Formats: sequence, C-alpha cells, structure tokens
Amino acid sequence: MAWEYSEKTKQIFMDAVQGKPGTHLGEIEQPDGFGEHGSIACGDALRFTFRVERHPEDPLQDRIVEARYLTFGCTSAIAASEALCSLIESGGYSPVGALKITNHDIVDFLGGLPEQKIHCSVMGAEALEAAVFNWAQKRGVDLEALGIDLHAEDKEEGRIVCQCFSLSEPYLRRKILELGLKTIPEITGAVKAGGACMSCHHKPGGLQDLLDEAWGRKATSFVPLPEFPAPRERAAAVNVAVATGRPILSPFQFARQIEQALDQYVRPQLRRDGGDLELVDVKDTAIFIQLKGACAGCPNSTQTMKLMVERTLKEMVDERIRVVAV
Amino acid sequence: MLTYLDNNATTRIAPEVLAAMRPFLEDRFFNPSSAYECARGPADAIRQARRTVAAALGGVAPDEVLFTSCATESLNAAIFGAVRANPARRHLVTSAVEHPAVLEVCRDLARDGLEVDFLPVDRAGRLDPRAVVRAVRPDTLLVALMHANNETGVVFPIADLARLTKEIDPSVLFLTDATQTMGKLPLDLTGELAAVDLFAFSGHKLHAPKGVGALFVRRGARVRPFLIGGHQESGRRAGTENVAAIVALGAAVERAQRTRDADEIRIRGLRDRLEAGLLASLPCVEVNGAGAERLPNTLNLSVHFIEGEGMLFELNRAGICASSGSACTSGSLEPSHVLRAMQIPFTAVHGSIRFSFSRDNTDADVDRVLAAFPEIVRGLRRLSPYWDPAHDRPRPEAEPMMRG
Repeated sequence: MAWEYSEKTKQIFMDAVQGKPGTHLGEIEQPDGFGEHGSIACGDALRFTFRVERHPEDPLQDRIVEARYLTFGCTSAIAASEALCSLIESGGYSPVGALKITNHDIVDFLGGLPEQKIHCSVMGAEALEAAVFNWAQKRGVDLEALGIDLHAEDKEEGRIVCQCFSLSEPYLRRKILELGLKTIPEITGAVKAGGACMSCHHKPGGLQDLLDEAWGRKATSFVPLPEFPAPRERAAAVNVAVATGRPILSPFQFARQIEQALDQYVRPQLRRDGGDLELVDVKDTAIFIQLKGACAGCPNSTQTMKLMVERTLKEMVDERIRVVAV
Repeated sequence: MLTYLDNNATTRIAPEVLAAMRPFLEDRFFNPSSAYECARGPADAIRQARRTVAAALGGVAPDEVLFTSCATESLNAAIFGAVRANPARRHLVTSAVEHPAVLEVCRDLARDGLEVDFLPVDRAGRLDPRAVVRAVRPDTLLVALMHANNETGVVFPIADLARLTKEIDPSVLFLTDATQTMGKLPLDLTGELAAVDLFAFSGHKLHAPKGVGALFVRRGARVRPFLIGGHQESGRRAGTENVAAIVALGAAVERAQRTRDADEIRIRGLRDRLEAGLLASLPCVEVNGAGAERLPNTLNLSVHFIEGEGMLFELNRAGICASSGSACTSGSLEPSHVLRAMQIPFTAVHGSIRFSFSRDNTDADVDRVLAAFPEIVRGLRRLSPYWDPAHDRPRPEAEPMMRG
C-alpha cells in the first residue's frame, strides 16, 4: 500500500523527524496543560503539553503560548500532532477556546488524510481535550459549570464493544454522533474500533447496532458469518481411534503401561548419562518420544535410543508398538 | 539509485528470464492446445519448463508439477482440493504464522464446520514438533505448514514434520508453502522431503514475473482439481496456459539451481553484515527470529519505541525499499500476525522492519542502509514519548514495556 498522504503531511513529517526549527517536538516542563491519548499497544500514542500566559484575574482569559508533543506513531500521527500544535499556537487561543479545534481542522490543516488514518487526527483532538481538562483542574476552573462536558476518558467506563482496542459503548456512541460516523468503515477509520478481529461489527450490541440506534437505520444486506465452532474435545477423538484400532487396553491403561515401562527400564539408564526422555503422545500403537538433556540433538543417540526404547516397550507392553523420535 | 531490499515481497525479473519468455509474448503467441504445427513450440516450451521444475525439486515426475497463476492459487487448490477429496475427514492442522493464503483459507473452512488447529510458535518463531504430533488425530486430513516464514525468514523443519505426520497416519496429506524457499534452499522431494505430498510456490520471488506459480502434487495424493474446465494440465488445473510466464518460471528455476550455492553465501554475508552493523549502532533493537534457523536473505528487526511506517517513509526518501509489520502499513489496523504469534512485545511489533535480499543486492546496498538507517531511528526516537534522546535510551517508565 503506497502512501496517499498530501504533500503538506509529508513535509510536516519530514521537518519533524529532522527536528527543524519551528517544529513543536518536545515536552514542556511543568506544563499548564498535560494530556495523553492512545497507547503503545494500539500502535500510536501522543503526549501533548501546553504552557499559558496566565491572566492575573480570570483564568478563562489565559492564553496558550506554547504547545509541544511527543508521538509514537506513523507518519500521519506525527504530522497530526504537529498540526495540532501549530493550530493552537497560531490561533492565540485560550484553553477553553482551543476546544473549538476539532479533528476536522487538523485534517484540513494537513490537506486531507486517507480514511484509514482519520484516527490520527481524532487522537490529536482527544489529547487536546485531556490537556484542557488538566489545565482546568490546575487553575480551579469548573468546566461543567461553563456547560463544557469533556468526557474525560475515565468517565466513560462502560461495556467494552471493541475488545481489540478497548473501546467502550459510551465512548463509541459519543464518537458516532460527534463525528457523524455513518458506516462501520467510518468508525474504524476514525477511532479504530472494529479494525482488528472484526468480531464486534455485527454481533448484538456491536458497531452496527450502535449505528442503527444512532441514525435509526437497519442494515439489510449483510449476512453475518457464523462463529467459529469450538474445537472438539481431543480425548473424544482419541477414543474413536482406539475404538476402531487394535490395542486391547483402554487408551489410558495403554499409555500408563508405557509410562511405567519407561520409568522402570528406560529412564534410569538415560539418567545415568545425564539424559532423559519425554513421552510426547501415544497414537494407536505409535509411541512418540523426545529425548532430553545430554541425549537431545545427537543423531546417533537418537537412533540407538529409539531402538532401545522400542525393544523395551515391545517386550514389556505390546509387540506391535512402534517408537518415533520427535 | 535505488536500494531494493524487499525481495520477500517480489523480485526483479532476471534478464535471461525476460529473454526466454519474450518470444511467447510476440511471435510464438499460439495456444499450446491448438492442432497446427506452430502451436507445438509453446507446448514444447511448457513441457521443457515442467521438466526443469521437476528436476529442481529433486527429480520428481514432470506430471507431478502443475502450473498455476500464483502461490495463493497453488495453496487454495491444495487445501480445497484435499478437503473435497477426503470428505470423511474434517480436521486440519496449520500454524498461526502461515501466510494469509493458508491462514484465511483455513479460517474460511472453519466457518464451513471443519475443525482447524492453529499451532502456536515460540518467542523465536519456532514450531514445537511435539505440538504437531499431538494435534494430528484420526480425522485429520491435512497438515499445512510453511517452509520459511515470509516476514521473519524462520525456517520450519519441514522434513521432520512431514515424516512425523506420516508416522502417525500415512493418509494424512502434508502441504508445504515453499514460496520463500524455492530457489533459496536445496529442495529434494524424492529424498529429504519425500513425505511432503503438496508443495506450493510462485515465480516472482525468484526473479520470474508475477502471475505464475506451481503446485507439486505427489502421485497418489488424494486431491480433487480446483480450477475446473478444459483439459489443460491433464485436467487437474483448467485454463489456457500462461505460456510466457511458465517459460519464465522454468528459466528462473534453472538459473537459481545453477547459482544458488554461490548466491546463498554472498547473500548471507550481506545480510549478516547489515545485521551486525545495525545492532552495533543502535540500542534497543532486536532481531526477530534470532535463535531460530533463518533464511539467509531475511533480516527482521524490531526497533523499540518507534513505529514502522515512519521508518519506511524515511527509508523511502533515502531511496531504500523495505517493509514493516506495523499496523499502519498493513492496510488493516492490526500489526503483523506473525510477530504477535511470537509474542513480541507491542513496543517492538509496531517498530518492526524487514530487509530482504536477493542476488541482485551488493555491498553498496548494505552501506547505504548502514549510513541512513541509524539516523532515521534517532530522528524518530526524538519524537517518541517513550525515549530519552539525551541518553539514547528508553525513559525509565517505558523500559519494562520492552519485556512485554
């Protein structure tokens, strides 16, 4: 998949990687606002900090004068972080005013982003919200009293819809409405939900249900794939083999006799030389063993041991036994 | 000047291969099934290519070699063909690190009600032969395990695994995806690999063009045809033969046979020099698959705390083509299923980068990567919230993440 980034996105990324003057790479010490979004497990993470010029009386008139980021992520994640800082610094925003910056502004600043990279711009907007939330706590500003509901992530605990990216139902409901997401690919593009195992797309309470509730539509064309069948009990399969096969003993008794013969006659000899063996499996009359310790990896000993073990087991347990070295 | 180090993705067509195929795109365009005299040339050329491939596989019978359109088709044909020929058996064994051409086919069959065991690998990408033994059961119809992994180059001990499978039950079919080993490793389907029933590969990984592959089907193996129609390939793979591409595959296989041993030594030398150079110049970098037997041409590195796409972007600007298993380059949002199956920590999965060599590469290519890549990594790490650039090491709070 070749890159479909705008020239501006590429230029911003290149300047950032080379640490050109004017880029916003870094972290402000003792920042007035600190926000993080994402995690290394998800593949991108942004740490966003800003410094304000404090207004002597009214914190709401604080001005953001410096914004910095550190980003783990792809080309567009880094470019989106840079775009966020540029937008904020050039706008002379107050922290509350900066909340007007949305992920769409970031996308516009970058001259567009491929659909599957929209989540990089959303990450920027989320980190900004978290940082403003942090600033408000430090400055004693009651955002809720101002009618601003920041949905700090810790307030959005709830049923997890997308297990792969740990995204909750309240979060997804909010994002669907906020960003006007109408399809599952749009959700995946914006917030990653459903982008990995895809099992949450059409199951009850999954992404399609959330979309239907939000926009009042019902999917008609999609027939969900059946779930994978649970693996059958292995023991049952072995019993079938034995039922149709030759050993007279039950599989359990047969394996037990083999273990006993190995313990009594074979292992003592091997252990004297610093070796050992593992009984890997018993399939019908084929006995799979693996040599351990000093015996492992020596082709000569493998052949010798195989014959020795086979002779012993033939004699002690069943003459049809065949030993296979694993 | 381009440094192309993505040869596990595809290779450049060799000049002699292009020369061999060219007449069949021009004057000798005839359908090999036609009756007139001039169609005999294309038919003979296909026969010759089939003999060449059969010889390269250790002297198998030419009629055990089918030409297909790609390795994916070969693998689909082998798996679906085996399932349809053995309806009484409903169980498949494969590994978690197979190419999607196997993995997704198995998943699709699981939706139809077949049971599939996806065997895990260890931290070095190795498969435990004991797991294969334990997985095979009385209703197993097929064991499908790749020869070498396309991402990490880790080589599975296919000869042993096939032999063990046959020890359990000779009627279980054994399929190997040899897309990454054909032309790179010696392959003897009448000797060491005599227990392998089905063996798939493509042309474009060994300097033939895209659009041609092959499937070895051992005589007597119970496999129904996949592409059904005309009588081509003895009715086992219908569709007018892609004559030029088949001729090219024959020429590429012949060339690989001739120079493989010398190429391997030189390629391994290049890869090892790049590996040692990068490990020496960068902290917190590890080789994925280190500790396992690996293809001599593949270097898969994890660079902790930065993301692969940014590295590829900067390498691209430096004129270097490589690839990454990071989520951002996969087209989905999931990072490489291979590295995840190896339980590589997240800090490293997203920062994985693969350099894969061919005989076209030179020392100059290695020099260019050694000159460019460490600076690229340092640049991206300056941006990373987990890295302390002043001391060129992870931040203390991030350090434990490296251990996953």
